Formats: sequence, structure tokens, C-alpha cells
Amino acid sequence: MIDVADLVVEYGTATALDRVTLAVDKGEMVALLGPNGAGKSTLANTLAGLLAPASGTVRIGGRLALVPEGRQLFPDMSVADNLALGGWRSGQRDPAPVYELLPRLADLAGRRAGVLSGGEQQMVAVGRALMSRPQVLVVDELSLGLAPNITADLAAHLTRLNREQGVAVLLIEQNARLAFELCSRAYVLESGQVQAEGPCAELAGDPRVASAYLGGAIT
Amino acid sequence: MKKVAAETAAARVIAGSTAARIAAGAAAVAVALALPLVLDDSALAVYVLLGLAAIVTVGVSLLMGFAGQVSLGQGAFYGVGAYTAALLTLNGFPPLLGLVAAPLVAALFAAVIGMPLLRLRGHHLAFATLAVQLILLSLAGQLEFTGGDIGLQAIPQFGVGSWEMDGAAAYAWLTWGALALVMLVTHHVITSRPGRALRALATSETAAASSGIPVGRYKLVVFALSAAFAGLAGGIYCFYTGYVAPGSFPVLISIQYIVMAVVGGLGTVWGAVAGAGAITLLVQGLDRLAALPGMPSYAPSVLSYAVYALVLIVVVLFLPQGLVPALTRRDRPPKTSRASRGVPGD
Amino acid sequence: MSAFLTYLLNGLAVGCAIALIASGLVAIHRVTGVVNFAQGTFAVVAGLCTSSLLGLGMPHGVSEAAAVLLAGLAGLLTGLAAIGRPGTTPLSSLIVTLGVGVLAYAVEIVLWGDQPRSAPGLAGSVTIAGARIQTQHLLVIAVTAATFALLALFFGRTYLGKALTACASNPYAARVVGIDPRRMGLLAFALGGLLGGLAGVLITPLRPISFDTDVTLIVNAFAAAVFGALTRPVVALGGALLLGVAETMAAGYGYGSHQLEVALGLMLVVMIVQASRRSAIHEEAV
Repeated sequence: MIDVADLVVEYGTATALDRVTLAVDKGEMVALLGPNGAGKSTLANTLAGLLAPASGTVRIGGRLALVPEGRQLFPDMSVADNLALGGWRSGQRDPAPVYELLPRLADLAGRRAGVLSGGEQQMVAVGRALMSRPQVLVVDELSLGLAPNITADLAAHLTRLNREQGVAVLLIEQNARLAFELCSRAYVLESGQVQAEGPCAELAGDPRVASAYLGGAIT
Repeated sequence: MKKVAAETAAARVIAGSTAARIAAGAAAVAVALALPLVLDDSALAVYVLLGLAAIVTVGVSLLMGFAGQVSLGQGAFYGVGAYTAALLTLNGFPPLLGLVAAPLVAALFAAVIGMPLLRLRGHHLAFATLAVQLILLSLAGQLEFTGGDIGLQAIPQFGVGSWEMDGAAAYAWLTWGALALVMLVTHHVITSRPGRALRALATSETAAASSGIPVGRYKLVVFALSAAFAGLAGGIYCFYTGYVAPGSFPVLISIQYIVMAVVGGLGTVWGAVAGAGAITLLVQGLDRLAALPGMPSYAPSVLSYAVYALVLIVVVLFLPQGLVPALTRRDRPPKTSRASRGVPGD
Repeated sequence: MSAFLTYLLNGLAVGCAIALIASGLVAIHRVTGVVNFAQGTFAVVAGLCTSSLLGLGMPHGVSEAAAVLLAGLAGLLTGLAAIGRPGTTPLSSLIVTLGVGVLAYAVEIVLWGDQPRSAPGLAGSVTIAGARIQTQHLLVIAVTAATFALLALFFGRTYLGKALTACASNPYAARVVGIDPRRMGLLAFALGGLLGGLAGVLITPLRPISFDTDVTLIVNAFAAAVFGALTRPVVALGGALLLGVAETMAAGYGYGSHQLEVALGLMLVVMIVQASRRSAIHEEAV
């Protein structure tokens, strides 16, 4: 679904992504790990078509939706309006299928998005992305700033979506423990380059990865 | 980091060509001095107006290129200078005092209104300066001592002591001498340490402030300096034409200076002169064209409006560094990064 | 007392026209971040165009509608110049719209000459509580009220209106969901053209319009819009009505020659007060 080869993205003269190669297959759930400033969000924005590659290829084999870092809702608008605008690409404005998957959103429909809690906002962001009926979902920092039980709840929704509807997921996370739990494979991005990749079980056993991403980082 | 590198590279290029630049400068001075001797009367008039426009434009270019501020009211300072010199001279003070007071009063006026106005940025400042010019024009048109809409007439010739200037050539030398002074001052400002700090001001005020630059004071100084230049040009203008009226300083004249500064490349001393020259000559050429038999009576204004507009739009969109840098390729325009356009990076 | 009421209603009508232009300014600024200096030009183009069409014998209604549509087209073209090229900063766009305004001078002088033109509006007057009001003034007030109601419906209730609001609220998020901010910006410019055109059509019967009337119009509209920090149309409406009434009262009670200074001075004060309340960091983006 996602096929990225030798991707280079530049901001002015600074190189944000340096020959990144990465793939997510149909129905797969893949994690992308890395510290702040590694280029993870740059990759997310490039996949979503918001940034142009300097070189390399990006192939997306279906409709892609992005849950951006920091939720990025329309804060003055209602949850229902936020969801409706999520259907801009597909022309799909009826939120019923999303309410079915995330019933809590139906209760929040009339509320202003800006006044919701962090977890609720993240749920709106996921719901908004799902409005376009994506075949592949890129989720940038699902767990950032959320309590563990709320993250677990959202993660369960993502897993269901992946297993039941076959939506491929690229999960961009700093929380490696969560990512390894949910995903089958993972990539590690550092300073714009892929430093390691492989099945999660293998990576979790890699002492370098373990010390950088699992060692006491998560409480 | 990359900014520093770019600046050192630019500095090296400048140092490398210092000798060539001095030679070019000397040649330019020689030509500028010799021209009044060979030009006929109508060409001399253009030459004087060109020099006056260049004086104001150097200030506008400094303000826009170094302080990052757009003034849509530079014509107001031009007018303040002209009225100051005219009023002093008509009330019996020597013309020299009038000419010296013109830039000083304009600068003082700019400093006073600048204190509140320079809190504004971007389009707010642009509209505020435009508002100041409109208010001044309206007042000048109504007040008794400024002569109302008719303005002030019969302003004596410029002179020092018993010597009185006569002939357009003398005004040409005065104008271009003033231009040389203005260029030297600007060059000094740009190359001084505070001047280099000002460069930072144009790109990011917050960054400049956080690195300890007294942003507010610098902006005020540049604003007052650019007003002083305009005031000086206005002072010469009133002696040269012998009268001033609100109609001499329309809003369009302020826009004209922006066109000239933008065409020449913001923040470049020679660019401002070249921009003023290019636009003045272009408009003069079109005026000749418009005066040809068979052209409609509205042709001169229509042609000059059209030229100002098209030049402004084309240069802003396609040559944002201005014509002169684009031609000489000394500064490559920086790549606009997507990051600055609202896509958060990592 | 009846003179006061007359001035008040006349002032409200003038304020309504300013409000229409200001609402276009706000719509464009909200979506694109650009202050459109050519906003007064749209009113001038529409006003001059109506006077010509009516002069050619076209009926009322048709002439005005055609003029407003033409102003909408002018808005779209201005938008193409101002934001059509990727990477144009808002301040560069402002300078481009300034260029568009000057270019319009050239076109207008060729088409309509440089003398002020007027157009017949609604004839007659009505007496309200002892005050005589021209019917045209009432028409201006009614049309403005209806337009603001329609605008509220458009932005609050329609999908397209919500997409425009989304661009204003969070441009990055708008791009994430696939809304093209540039196309929305062009739409806002076209809308600004229509609103400016409407104002021009309404005021031409009240005060003659010439090619350079745009400076007065844009400065007044900007003054009104800064009341609402260039983002809140309803506050801009309030500001415009205040300006209109203040100017008309000044003129009515013998200070007519200073009405521009009143408006401009008010605008400067409002801007300076607003600026001192905001920190430099918030303004950096401008």
C-alpha cells in the first residue's frame, strides 16, 4: 500500500529525509520509531502529499489518510463538522460508519472540538481520517500526551480496524513498547535515515534498539 | 548555520570585487557630475527628478529591505520636508536653514509618529503610514498657514548668503550631491555592526529580539533615517519647482517609491538608484509616447498607471530579489522552505 | 432631533456600504492571510459599470447584477495574481493587490474617463418619526442586513462555507483532509469581489464614484475591519456602522471637512491599542 524508495526530502538546504526506503503491505500494521527530529513527521507529511520529495519515489496504492501529529482539529467547529470535513476527498459526508466504529463520537457530535479532552480530540482526529474511507492510515504520535488507558483504548480501535476492515496502518510512535505490541514489523528512523528494520520481535531483542527505545523510556 | 555560511560567502564576494566596485563608483560619480553640462533643459528636469526619486527610494529600500517594514506613506515625509523648507524660507529664514531643517523635521516627525506606529507590523503598518499621509494631505489642504489646496508659491531660489542658485544644472548638482551623501550614509549604516544586526530584523523580528538586538530602537532609527532622506529630497524639490501644494504629494507617489525600491532590489543602495532611474526613464519615455499626435488626452496617466502596476506585480511575483540582483546574480534567492508555509516539520 | 435621526440613518447606510467592503476584506484575510488593497477597487468597478449599463438603457436589477458579477470576476483575477503563485508571502500579496488597484486605474480611465459618475437609484424618500430618509438609504441598509444573514448561513451551514472556515481555522489541517487552501483562497477573493461590487452598486446613487474613490473606500473598510482584528465580520460590521455614523454626524454638524481624519485617527488608535495587547511572537506570521 505504501512503497517508498530512496526518498529524499529537503527544507531549504537542510536534509530532513535521506534515502529512506520503506514499505507497508496490504492489511499490514507497521511501526515507525525514532526520536524527536528524526524526520518521522516529515515522512508522514510527504506520504500525505503535503511535502514534495527532492528525489526518490513515493507510491501509494490506495486512498491514504493522515492522523497528524498534535491532532490538528478545527477547534472552533463542532465534532460533526470536523468529521464532515474529513470526507472532503471522498465526498462522503455521512458520519454514520465512523460513529459505528467509534460510538463515543456520536455522543460528542455537537460539542466544539477545541474544548474536548486530549483523548477525545485524538479520537476525533482518527474519526476524521476514517471519513475518507482510507485503505491505508498513517497515524502520527497516537499516544503523545495521553494517559495509558486512553491510548490502549484508541489502540484497540486501530487494531480492530486493521483486522476487521483490512486497513493498512503505519503507526509513527515514540512509545516503542506500544508500537511493538500492536505491530508486526517496525522501522527505526534516526537523523533522517532508516537505522534498523525488521519484525518487532527481532528489533525488541536488538540491544541497541532496546536501550534507546525500551530502556526505562516508558513508565 | 546555513545563514551564517551564506553571509560569509556573500562577504567574500563583496571583498573580492572591492577594487572593481570602487572603480565603478568613481566612474558613476564622474558621469553624474558631467551629465548636467551636456543635457538640455528638458533632460535636466528629468535628471533632477530622477535624483530626487532616488534619494527617497534609497530610504524606502533601507526600510523595506533591512527593517522589513512597508511604508505606504513615504510621500508624507517628502511633503513634510518640502513644506518645512518652503515655510521657513517664505518666512524670511535663509534657504540653507530651510534645506537643513527639511530632513531634520521629517526625521523628528517620523520618530514621533514611529513610536506608536512601529508597534504595528506588516499590513497594519502599511495602512497606518498610508493613513498618516492621507491625514497630512487633508490637513495641508485645509490649514491657512500651508496655503490650503493652492499651496505655497513664489518660494525663493536656493542659495547661500548672497549667492543664489540659478539654472537647472545647479539643482542637478545639488540633487546628485545629496544623493551621494544619502548613499554614503546608507552604505555606512548597512556595513556597520548594527546594520548587520538589522539584516536579522528583516527576516525574523523575534529571533533578532531574542539575540539581544534592541529591535524597537533600530526600527525607529531606520524609519527616521528613511524619513530624513525623503525630507531632504522634498526640501530640494520645493526650491527647484518654486511651489508646493498637497497635489504634489499624492498617495501614488508613495506607491511609486515602493515600485522603484522593489524593482531595484530591497536593501541594496545601488539597486535603489537603478530602480528609481529605470522607472523614471520608463515613465518619461511613455510620456513622450503619450504626447504623440493622435493619442487620447488620458494617455499619459493611463500609461504611467499601467506601467507602475505591471512592473510592481511582475517584479514582486517573479523577481522577488529585484531587478538588479537578479541581473547581477550576486545574491541567489534563498529557496523557500515548505516549513515556513505551514507544514510542521519534525 | 429629526436632523439627528436623519444623520443617524444616513450614517448607518454609509456604514453598511463600508461594512460590505470590510466583510470582503475579512473573508479574504481569514482564508488567505492577505489584506486585499484592491477591495475598494471592486466597488469602484461595479459602480462605474452600473452607471454605464443604466446609461445604455439596461433595466435596473439587470445592470446592478451584471456589475456585481463583474466585480466578482475582478476579485477572482485579483486573487489569481495575489495568491496564484505558490510561495507568495502575505506581504508580497498585499503589494501585488496594490499593483492590481493601480492597474485598475488605467483600465477605468480608458473605459470611463477620470470624472466622477453617478447612477440613478431608488427615487423618493420616506418620513420616519419626523426624519426624511432617502429610499436608497433604506435599500442599502436592507440589502446589507440580508447579505450578512446570507453570509452567516453560508459560512455556518453549507459544506463549502465550512471548508472556507476550516482554511481560516487551521490551514494545515485543511490540507491534511484534502482541502486546497489556494482554491479556497481564490473563492474567498471572488466572494470579496462580489461583496465589494455590491457595496459599489449600492453607493453610486448616493455619492458619485470616480476611479480613485477606491482609496477612501479601502481605508474606511480597513479601519472597520481592524475593529474585528481583520477576522471577525460581525465586529467589523459594528466598526463600519460606527465609522459611518461618526463621519455623517461630523459632516452634518459642520465638521465635514474633517471626516476622513476622524476615521483614520480612529483606525490608528484601534490598531495601536490592539498591537500593544498582543505580543511580538503572535504577530510574527504577519
